[in-house]
Amino acid sequence: MRRGIASLCLHGALLAVAAVTIFPFVWMLLSSFKSADEISAVDQHLLPHVWTLENYRSIQENFDAVRLLGNSLMLSIVITAIAVYTSLLGGYVFGKYRFRGRGALFAVVLATMMIPWAVVLIPRYTMFTGAGLQDSYASIVIPAAISSFGIFMMRQSMDNVPDEILEAARIDGASELYIFHRIVAPMSVNAISALAIFQFLWVWEDYLWPYLMLSTPSKQVLAVGLTTFSGQYSTDYGGLFAATTVSIVPVVIVYVIFQKRFIAGAASAAVKG
Amino acid sequence: MATTIESAPPPVRSPGRRRGTPVARGERPLRLVVVTTIIVAILALVAWPIVAALLGSLHDWNPLNGTYEWVGTANYRRLFDDPVFWTSSVNTVVFMVGAILGRVVLGVALAYAIYSRLTRTKTLFRTLYYLPTVTPLVAVAYVWRLMYHPQFGAVNSILGLDVNWLYDSRFALLAVMVMTIWKDFGFAVILYLAGLYSLRTDVLQAAEVDGAGAWARFRRVIWPMLRPTTLLVVVTSMIGYLQAFVQVLVLTGGGPGDSTSLISYLIYQQAFEKYDFGYASAAAFVLFVATAVLTLLLFRAQSGPLRGKAR
Repeated sequence: MRRGIASLCLHGALLAVAAVTIFPFVWMLLSSFKSADEISAVDQHLLPHVWTLENYRSIQENFDAVRLLGNSLMLSIVITAIAVYTSLLGGYVFGKYRFRGRGALFAVVLATMMIPWAVVLIPRYTMFTGAGLQDSYASIVIPAAISSFGIFMMRQSMDNVPDEILEAARIDGASELYIFHRIVAPMSVNAISALAIFQFLWVWEDYLWPYLMLSTPSKQVLAVGLTTFSGQYSTDYGGLFAATTVSIVPVVIVYVIFQKRFIAGAASAAVKG
Repeated sequence: MATTIESAPPPVRSPGRRRGTPVARGERPLRLVVVTTIIVAILALVAWPIVAALLGSLHDWNPLNGTYEWVGTANYRRLFDDPVFWTSSVNTVVFMVGAILGRVVLGVALAYAIYSRLTRTKTLFRTLYYLPTVTPLVAVAYVWRLMYHPQFGAVNSILGLDVNWLYDSRFALLAVMVMTIWKDFGFAVILYLAGLYSLRTDVLQAAEVDGAGAWARFRRVIWPMLRPTTLLVVVTSMIGYLQAFVQVLVLTGGGPGDSTSLISYLIYQQAFEKYDFGYASAAAFVLFVATAVLTLLLFRAQSGPLRGKAR
């Protein structure tokens, strides 16, 4: 009996936290369908009295939200594909090959994860502008093409690939690239999908670097579009609700579909890290 | 798999594993390409930028008018005389400690509650708590800016208060911290759940048999055993929060006054609003050293005399 009551309280507390967790999303989504008058009304209601798409029309007119959404999607997919591939390759070399300096080099790769962005940001900025790469997608892709976190994560997952299988393939005369693509990659699907998810999210939410490098408004990514939009139309709260909805909802949909992979990826970092 | 086959030969060691014999065909070129690429990338994108930042911090460096003149330690002296730097440092420490505490306490409490009582709803809560972590920071920061709005924001509507959260220096940093904890605690829940499920159950059962109550079991057995998870949460949070920036940019712009200015925000402002690259580099280097020292101290504490001293 006492256990039952305690359990009920616990469930209540957990539900309360869950409500606080999702409330901002619900509020944002519902508010994005409200008219300007209703948003700033003194008397607040969660549900819109009159549903309107006006906010979405205004962000499309003001900053071509669809275009920026497409840019973000394209950049995220391209960078994720490149970074996952190079990470897997790096993980394979560090995990399965024995060579001089391997331990030291891997330690350096790990150490780069702890360096604050603020330290490398200014020199990188001058390097990339000096190389004439400003306002080009190359400036966004190049620094993200190799990920030390990705190499670290993929090296960990190499434990799942037994040496015996690689040896057997080598004896059969398979080339290293064949082994990598046909044996190592298929055996690393879980790690690949976990890394792909993280990598995609990082590119999707990256703000500062695209903001510094890209100057043509139509080339911009959604995260930067949000900040410029908010600066220019600071009183258009409805537009801000709609714009944040556009940049959050795709991620939430992907999360709901792949939530098991998301959580397995995060947890694997814990157990192995 | 291989162990089930009784006649399986001992694992073949390839000739490449032995000194002096040739490595597997194709291994060497692949290794050469990958290792060279990684080394070049680290040199170009990390090592050289660090050297350039250190050199730059010793120069009067402004890209707008092309200045790059040696000034020695002037930028550092200016930094340590700058009250904004000290306010930002204090803010950064307060923000970091508060956000880490919130993350650890919420993370371990919710994970332990789920672990000890829930089996069927485990996935549901885990999924909900992790949701803010996966959403883009810039966007959710805007949502919270609207949530904190004094007139129509949901925070005041729900709490029945009339507080101007982001424009009142008493509350602004707290508001930034609350938003950050909301965004990040779910990751700690997942890490602690993973930690809890990897604990040895015999120790837990022994404690239960010995008649230890729920709180005693947690405090004397589980919490000490979760030490590696806590270290992981604290170290990653610390590195992340020392560099926190987007929240401040979106929510408060460092204000009111300097009450929410963090070191990374100061660096950003000095670099890309005032184009004082030398001064910003000096601040960035101080942040770099602080991060390195704090990380080392934490690892030292973990492997030093504190380890295993479970009270």
